[in-house]
Amino acid sequence: MKLGLVVDLDTCVGCHGCATACKQWNTSGTIGPLSDKDPYGRDPNGAWLNRIRTYEVGDTPNSKTVNMPMSCMHCDNAACVTVCPTGASYKREEDGIVLVDQDKCMGCNLCSWACPYGARELDPHQGTMKKCTLCVDRIYDERLPKGERQPACVLTCPTKSRVFGDFDDPDSEVSRLARERGGKQLMPELGYNPVNTYLPPRNKKQQAAYETSGRSVKDTVKQWVNKVIAR
Amino acid sequence: MTSQASLPVTTGLPEFENRSNQQTKYTTCYMCACRCGIKVTVEDNQVRFIQGNPNHPINKGVLCAKGNSGIMKQLSPAKLSKPLLRKPGTERGAGEFEEISWAQALDMLEQRLARIRATDPNKLAYFTGRDQMQALTGMWASQFGTLNWAAHGGFCSVNMAAGGLYTMGHAFWEFGDPDWDNTKYFMMWGVAEDHSSNPIKLGLKKLKERGAKFVAVNPVRTGYQAIADEWVAIRPGTDAIFALSMVQVLLKHRLVDEEFLIRYTNAPQLVVNTPGQKGDGLFFRGQSGQPQVWDLVKQQFVDANLPDISPALFGEFEMPDGTPVRTAMSIMLDKYMDPQYAPENAAKECGVAAEDIERIALEMAQVAFKESITLDIEWTDWAGRKQDKFIGRPVSMHAMRGISAHSNGFQTCRAIHLLQVMLGTIDCPGGHLAKPPFPKHVPPGIKPAKVSAPNTPLKSPPLGFPTCPEDLVIDADGNPLRIDKAYSWDAPISCHGLMHMVISNAVKGDPYKIDTLMLFMANMAWNSSMNTAQTIEMLCAKEADGEYKIPFIVCSDAFNSEMVAYSDLVLPDTTYLERYDTISMLDRPISEPHAACDSVRIPVIAPDRDVLSWQEVMVELAGRLGFPAFTDQAGERRYTDYKDFIVNFEKEPGIGFLAGYRGKDGDKSLRGEPNPRQWEAYEENEGFFEHHLAPNQRYMRHANRDYLELAKEAGWVGSTDQILIELYSEKLQTFRLAGQGLYDGPMPTEEHHKERLVKYFDPLPFYYMPLEEQRIDRDKYPFHAVNQRPMFMYHSWDSQNAWLRQIMSQNYLFMNRVAAEKQGIEDLSWVWVESHNGKIRVQVKLMEGSNEQTVWTWNAIAKRGGAWGLADDANEATDGFLMNHLISELLPQKGDKVDRVTNSDPVTGQAAWYDLRVSISPAAPGETGTWPSFGALKPQPNAKSSPQMLSYSSHENVNLVRPMSDILTRGEK
Amino acid sequence: MHPAFSVLVFTVLSGAGYGLISLLVLAHLAGIPQLQDTAVLLAGGLLAFLLITGGLLSSTLHLANPKNAWRAFSRFRTSWLSREAVFAVLFYPFLLLYLFGIYRQGAELGALFKLAGILAATLALVTLFCTSMIYASLKTIRQWNSALTPLNYLALGLMSGALLLAAVQAVAQGGLAAVLQQLALGLVLLGAVAKLIYLFWIGKPAGSTIHTATGFTQASVRLLDQGHTANSFLNDEFGYRVEAERLMKLRYLMVGLAFVLPFMLLLSGQAWLAPAASVLAIAGLLTERWLFFAEARHVVRLFHGEQHT
Ligand SMILES: Nc1nc2c(c(=O)[nH]1)N[C@H]1C(S)=C(S)[C@@H](COP(=O)(O)OP(=O)(O)OC[C@H]3O[C@@H](n4cnc5c(=O)[nH]c(N)nc54)[C@H](O)[C@@H]3O)O[C@H]1N2
Ligand SMILES: Nc1nc2c(c(=O)[nH]1)N[C@H]1C(S)=C(S)[C@@H](COP(=O)(O)OP(=O)(O)OC[C@H]3O[C@@H](n4cnc5c(=O)[nH]c(N)nc54)[C@H](O)[C@@H]3O)O[C@H]1N2
Ligand code: SF4
Ligand code: SF4
Ligand code: SF4
Ligand code: SF4
Ligand code: SF4
Ligand SMILES: [Mo]
Repeated sequence: MKLGLVVDLDTCVGCHGCATACKQWNTSGTIGPLSDKDPYGRDPNGAWLNRIRTYEVGDTPNSKTVNMPMSCMHCDNAACVTVCPTGASYKREEDGIVLVDQDKCMGCNLCSWACPYGARELDPHQGTMKKCTLCVDRIYDERLPKGERQPACVLTCPTKSRVFGDFDDPDSEVSRLARERGGKQLMPELGYNPVNTYLPPRNKKQQAAYETSGRSVKDTVKQWVNKVIAR
Repeated sequence: MTSQASLPVTTGLPEFENRSNQQTKYTTCYMCACRCGIKVTVEDNQVRFIQGNPNHPINKGVLCAKGNSGIMKQLSPAKLSKPLLRKPGTERGAGEFEEISWAQALDMLEQRLARIRATDPNKLAYFTGRDQMQALTGMWASQFGTLNWAAHGGFCSVNMAAGGLYTMGHAFWEFGDPDWDNTKYFMMWGVAEDHSSNPIKLGLKKLKERGAKFVAVNPVRTGYQAIADEWVAIRPGTDAIFALSMVQVLLKHRLVDEEFLIRYTNAPQLVVNTPGQKGDGLFFRGQSGQPQVWDLVKQQFVDANLPDISPALFGEFEMPDGTPVRTAMSIMLDKYMDPQYAPENAAKECGVAAEDIERIALEMAQVAFKESITLDIEWTDWAGRKQDKFIGRPVSMHAMRGISAHSNGFQTCRAIHLLQVMLGTIDCPGGHLAKPPFPKHVPPGIKPAKVSAPNTPLKSPPLGFPTCPEDLVIDADGNPLRIDKAYSWDAPISCHGLMHMVISNAVKGDPYKIDTLMLFMANMAWNSSMNTAQTIEMLCAKEADGEYKIPFIVCSDAFNSEMVAYSDLVLPDTTYLERYDTISMLDRPISEPHAACDSVRIPVIAPDRDVLSWQEVMVELAGRLGFPAFTDQAGERRYTDYKDFIVNFEKEPGIGFLAGYRGKDGDKSLRGEPNPRQWEAYEENEGFFEHHLAPNQRYMRHANRDYLELAKEAGWVGSTDQILIELYSEKLQTFRLAGQGLYDGPMPTEEHHKERLVKYFDPLPFYYMPLEEQRIDRDKYPFHAVNQRPMFMYHSWDSQNAWLRQIMSQNYLFMNRVAAEKQGIEDLSWVWVESHNGKIRVQVKLMEGSNEQTVWTWNAIAKRGGAWGLADDANEATDGFLMNHLISELLPQKGDKVDRVTNSDPVTGQAAWYDLRVSISPAAPGETGTWPSFGALKPQPNAKSSPQMLSYSSHENVNLVRPMSDILTRGEK
Repeated sequence: MHPAFSVLVFTVLSGAGYGLISLLVLAHLAGIPQLQDTAVLLAGGLLAFLLITGGLLSSTLHLANPKNAWRAFSRFRTSWLSREAVFAVLFYPFLLLYLFGIYRQGAELGALFKLAGILAATLALVTLFCTSMIYASLKTIRQWNSALTPLNYLALGLMSGALLLAAVQAVAQGGLAAVLQQLALGLVLLGAVAKLIYLFWIGKPAGSTIHTATGFTQASVRLLDQGHTANSFLNDEFGYRVEAERLMKLRYLMVGLAFVLPFMLLLSGQAWLAPAASVLAIAGLLTERWLFFAEARHVVRLFHGEQHT
């Protein structure tokens, strides 16, 4: 299995719902807490596993706005794992999820240096590395109702721009979406082979306009003949 | 949703967390007014997880960024914990309080209020902010007997409510929704986030999946506009000319839904055409008193409300006495074919290219008329005639504050409705759908109360819908009777009051002085006032004798907001997770187009402080003050508490605050006797109630008998008569006639009032330049300045939220890059922004997706140091800024009588926040940080200090352990 | 990249220590006359020991959760940092044995001690190489991801080692040995050349851009919002930015301190200037290491709006 997310850039409105859902679930989840430094002071700075960035593509007046949520891509070639000296970072063989064993991490930051996607953040209080767990503690928890065995960010996304599934299964929704919508990897040239896939914005919908053939009552009101229409 | 719904549990995973002492409870989110259903997992009186309730009609399982941060709201160090009294001898605003008991607080308030009520109830001004319990607070005020009550609608979006309710009986805002499931062309006007936060997002996703076209009309392209198929970067305040120019395009190609106009609107009704004479512009009424139409078959005038007549849509006729009349539609044709509204001319004003105006109008016509849809559902029309299908014209629209927060917003909103009506897209499949209890008759039949007397409830609610000058709340001399001057000549149809004028008027004693100002959930000392710095001064202003001009200020707040410091008595509220509450059908319920719904809040956390919900305070005070509706004949209290009140109070027989699970056994819906187990029933149904409309009741409800009968039974409408859409508003015309001196009834005496009535009370929607722009030098202030709601912050509430403020603790002034380069303004530099009312220093951020004549910022990010549990040097205080300082509550001063007039829509009194025009100039080198800055507020007595580090989790985290053997033996991956 | 002081100190001091000890052993066993002196050998060895140990201790200051530092030995199979740790520790017994040998037997060592010396020297260089590979293996930082990184680390470690060796020898013996002088001069030249090649090589933009990062390759891409207004771990760690002008000044300072001045001081042949040369060189190398970090551009910056790395 190769578990991961599809993120739809065509519909993401950048609401940050997935970011706080993630923080909420995971602060009491297996990787938590996700501490916050100076939470009510100057320059609050905490550990997040999912962040939303917004870009503008093109120049005034021909530009568009794109919201891009980013969390761990659960890369196939996860250098964050190979560089880790303690073995705290690992990629699960059975499903490809990349995790950090909080009991073993020494907080050297090296894995975050190795990650091109900014997916790892050091906990300011615990000093251990935090990252997206793909909500391993939801997707496998049989005590949750079936429909809720989904990552917190996926469950909450109000535009359903996030889809979770198995990329090894060609019939899964994620595989289908990636195929049909021309899913892209970010920075493929680095060779990390990220699993998370981004669906590019669709082409803008073109709507036909009414063919008017010059019918116009511009000149006089009188030309508009009353039709007999029963009320 | 995914193909691998059930993953095999892999060995080696531990039991993730101990669920044995976790409980799941259902309630309603209140991180904003969208009111999503939430499922809260609690352990040890701590929140483990808040998730969307998948069964809930509003959010269907999803939550926004705020809703997901409820834990941090509950954890806020700014929560108030005990009633506070300003220390005797200290100044208001100094923030010196002493804690008192609830008994003391309530006694004190009771005495004061009893005295006011027994003498002049209007000396109590009771105003509420972004609350959702106006049914209760409004009822409380009318039982008290004060005219001076309103909620936030007047500074929020009354233009949308009034624009819709005076046109078609429902509206944008929370009164209707696009038919997300069927619409093929969706146009969004001036919306950043809105109340319908999650439903809009769910809806937009549906549109995009179906390949419907989404057009966004907005000077700024962020959020929703980012995913639109077409962005129309309009110049602020000019939407009416854009909409009406599209109306012209439709008219000139005769692309209007004539059947819809004839059957469902007053377009064919005959209007007297005698300019300069009494009666001009009013309907030609027959003996029955009914407006007349010309029947094309009978060739005679007939009552317009009859079925099976064939009204002429166009034409000029003569009344039997020779008076000329013409159809409303003929007037419209005349008016909108005027060259002013030709695309070439409109383009110059609104900045949308003429070709685009023409094309968008024709695209909509194509969808409405060539791509219409039919639902083969039999229904019965208002006249009892069977119809075999619903015809849908799948063009829909939604509009909000980009329209309403301008002083021409009422007419602009009506212009958009006109466009919708021309296309026949009202309450039809794919169009704009009403949400029960809407639609109502035009306008709803409640008149504002005018008379207040000691110890006597008002005869009608303080707020209502005037239909003619007689309904104004003014005295014989034409002076306002309300403290906010609502329903006066300044703003005759101000159906939601003018909360933004209360402090300013009360301090000036114009129209009179008050004794006590009671605020619930309104941060008037900061982000919800125009002219904040001056408002703060006004709150502290004293008479010559040293008494405060507003002698006593009471505020109910759950948090240490800026307003707390300027109050004399502070009553600490519960949080939304700690209280009982109703989202009532008597108010603005959570209905969906096809279901009447309401919901409740049920505590999921026990408060750890000495707090009382405002709901309880209201019921308690009502009992103590002996309000008739709250006491029995013997004067004994009728309700023990809020829960009891909700269950047993009946507005009329069988109708109460909650519409669900009524009747002794809880088996009646909408109407039925009280059910003693009603709360439990809601609890069992996950906190909400849904009454699904039958398929034949779902569309064309303004003319759908089966629906109207249900609506009457439920008390939503007063009669089953057809709800006629009023494109031409005779009601507005009565005011115009008053302005012209041609009315048999109250008329204004002041010249500027006359002018305003004549100019702005046009019975047909039209475009005019916003008032501030009319009174300033446009070259001196070349930019429009507007605000947007951030999706992850609710007004001032969320800066106390440790997670949300990390997303944004500073706002910037966003400016188009090209425009900035022309002015020599650099990205991230500090600039001075100046308006007619003052100046501020702010930091600029350049962007592409902004209209070149517009600058904007996120609303309400700035905070005062010390408030909200924030450090004195929090970014919100040092680098964040409020645009409010630049906005005056009065029109730009010119030394004329208009100087005293509110900066609001002249029809509805809606605060004109977005009329603001500014100039921008670079700050001197070294000038950084926002200006003005305000001293930090003091912490409350016994306030918990805000932690330097927060590591929240509801239980000890269960780590997933990697076995040592794996560490030592695994190779590359 | 944010230059963490502890890491600068660690890499510079331990690099110098490893360079010193490997050159010392080499010179000693190669029979260079001035190094057949117990005092010189012991002093040099001890200095190397102190530098390396001090450096290693300093490196643990950089750990946010040092109680797990011992676990760093676990992933020798894939992690250069783990390898560095393992070799760094393996090095000690041989160093100590070698020094013990000298202490007991003087410059004339038995085979076992000689072997220990050779192994210590080798492990020193291997450790230094591992350190360099921690950086060189990161594809995320193009300025580091090349063979020039190990070349630089080795060259500069040896260079500072050679300067220190010369200083120790000169101080202990009251005069600078020509062979050490030439060795040091040669290595300073090598170091300077290696560094200049490096600086030249990182000068041209290459690799990932904001276009490949975001997937929008057809038009300009600008960051509008990074998703938070105050700081974040990513900005603190990777967002370090210095103005180009200041960087240029520091580069000149670095070249002057690390290469030009030591070279000139040493060229003078004055014994008493040799320690000064090595102190200046260490200061220069601290600047060099600071620049090594400060000039490195992590690709994650592209997501925060930088156009290229
Ligand atoms: N997250 C969140 N949700 C909220 C709130 C909140 O604070 N936070 N507040 C709630 C409240 S009280 C309200 S009233 C609603 C308001 O909800 P919205 O109507 O979404 O209000 P604003 O954010 O003011 O957005 C106004 C939009 O109109 C645009 N605009 C400004 N002037 C014009 C114009 O002349 N023409 C057009 N076409 N567009 C214009 C602005 O760029 C902006 O995008 O949101 C509610 N929902
Ligand atoms: N410049 C500018 N100003 C604006 C706007 C704008 O677009 N631009 N928008 C305007 C609009 S549309 C609106 S509606 C207003 C919003 O105006 P308000 O409703 O006044 O604004 P809020 O910031 O929501 O403040 C409400 C108060 O309610 C308190 N509160 C929160 N939860 C609770 C609770 O559970 N119980 C009690 N008792 N109190 C609680 C908060 O602490 C806060 O003090 O702002 C207006 N101001
Ligand atoms: S995104 Fe980063 S942290 Fe996640 S697997 Fe890839 S390299 Fe590792
Ligand atoms: S920070 Fe922790 S997880 Fe990352 S490399 Fe270091 S030890 Fe491994
Ligand atoms: S999958 Fe879970 S951990 Fe990962 S981003 Fe989503 S919510 Fe966060
Ligand atoms: S929740 Fe969905 S729409 Fe919101 S930012 Fe995340 S992905 Fe985008
Ligand atoms: S939109 Fe968000 S904050 Fe508002 S009620 Fe829904 S979940 Fe709560
Ligand atoms: Mo509002």
